Amino acid sequence: MDKLAARPPGSGIRHASAALALTGLALVVVLHWMVFFWVNTEVTMGIVQRIFYIHVPAFWVAFLAFGIAALCSAIYLWLRDERLDMLAVAAAEGGMLLTTVGLITGSLWGKIAWGTYWTWEMRLTLTLLLWFIYLGYFMVRGATQDPERGARLAAVVAIVGALDLPLIHVSVLWFRSLHPQPVVLDTRQPMNLDPDMLMTLMVGVLSLTVVFAGVMGFRYGLERGRRALDVRLARREAT
Amino acid sequence: MTYLRQVWAIAWKDLLIELKSRERFGSMAGFTVLAGVLFNFAIDWTAVRPDQITSALIWVTIVFGGTLGLGRTFELEARDEAFQGVLLTPVPRDALFLGKVLSNYVIVLAVTLLVLGVFGLFFAQDWSGRPLLLVATLALGGLGFVAVGTLFSAVSSGTATGQTLLPVLLFPLLVPVVIYGTGATGRILVGRPLEEIEGGLRILAAFALGALAAGAVLFRYVVED
Repeated sequence: MDKLAARPPGSGIRHASAALALTGLALVVVLHWMVFFWVNTEVTMGIVQRIFYIHVPAFWVAFLAFGIAALCSAIYLWLRDERLDMLAVAAAEGGMLLTTVGLITGSLWGKIAWGTYWTWEMRLTLTLLLWFIYLGYFMVRGATQDPERGARLAAVVAIVGALDLPLIHVSVLWFRSLHPQPVVLDTRQPMNLDPDMLMTLMVGVLSLTVVFAGVMGFRYGLERGRRALDVRLARREAT
Repeated sequence: MTYLRQVWAIAWKDLLIELKSRERFGSMAGFTVLAGVLFNFAIDWTAVRPDQITSALIWVTIVFGGTLGLGRTFELEARDEAFQGVLLTPVPRDALFLGKVLSNYVIVLAVTLLVLGVFGLFFAQDWSGRPLLLVATLALGGLGFVAVGTLFSAVSSGTATGQTLLPVLLFPLLVPVVIYGTGATGRILVGRPLEEIEGGLRILAAFALGALAAGAVLFRYVVED
């Protein structure tokens, strides 16, 4: 039998991850029902505040994704296990997607609440910069012919990018800022959030986390298959 | 002591090459002077006072001009594979990185002095108000810039696109340097009290230390082959 026709590695994890992503998408539908029909309208900001249930979880999960990408990159540099590099790529792509969702939803909210789609407020600025840093991560990877070197250089970019993450969170506390202050992750006072709103937010975090885990797993499986195929093709050309 | 001697040996080698060729400093100096000329024509001086925007102009010029030179840190050695020879010497990778940073830092400081001279001359800017604070701000900001720039110069020189990738990688990371550098410089120029400046200086120092440490650790993975 032609070796190329054999089931490529990573197809098992792709099927499992696709199921997980579909479960996540079902949860996203539930989330939207909660956002539009179930949760109370916030008093000061009004109906536009409902976009927070997508915006805030998108950024939380995006930061988780970039954290995973940086952690996998750091361990990859140490252990040189190619699977860690594939995980880093998969997580970073998910992070880029979710940061884009977060930036777009934030802009839409900002147009109503602040009267402008964009403002050079520190947290927005640094999130945009993080997006650009990971754009650089993919550009470095794409601009190297040797995949091993590309993985190594990209890992360095991911680690330095992750060092930027704490600065993003702290910046909002350092600067006099337009951006709403943290409500759930504020350690200075007890949490003051309506239980229904908190529940909706948590469903948002859960659903986007499950979607992210599914997409990341799927992308990881795809990357494994692609690299295995590359190796087989190279071998076939050599013979 | 041996470690410092190794750092100095790398830095001195690069500075000697630069002294003889003046390849990088020449292009950076030309860029700086011409940027000053273009700024003069691009800005309506009846609408803004020089002291309102000079700090921004000097930092942008230092960053752009500096990037031009930093991008070629490894170019000469890569051209005839001389860098393999450098890697074969018993100098640890972190000392090699710090040596490269040191030589780049000297060149960028020279460019910074030129920027101050050119902008003082073209825009009649007086730097003599609080020279020590100004020097501290430019020196600390410049160190952070050079440390990150040298690491990413090594990264971009390892890719097929080379120097063109460097600004994309470097500029997002330099935003803290630009924010606090221009903030502190602007306040120094308009004579604000020290309490309003020292916070910015501390962050510039922390950025420089963090960038040096991260670069020293990560550089070995960039130049592995």
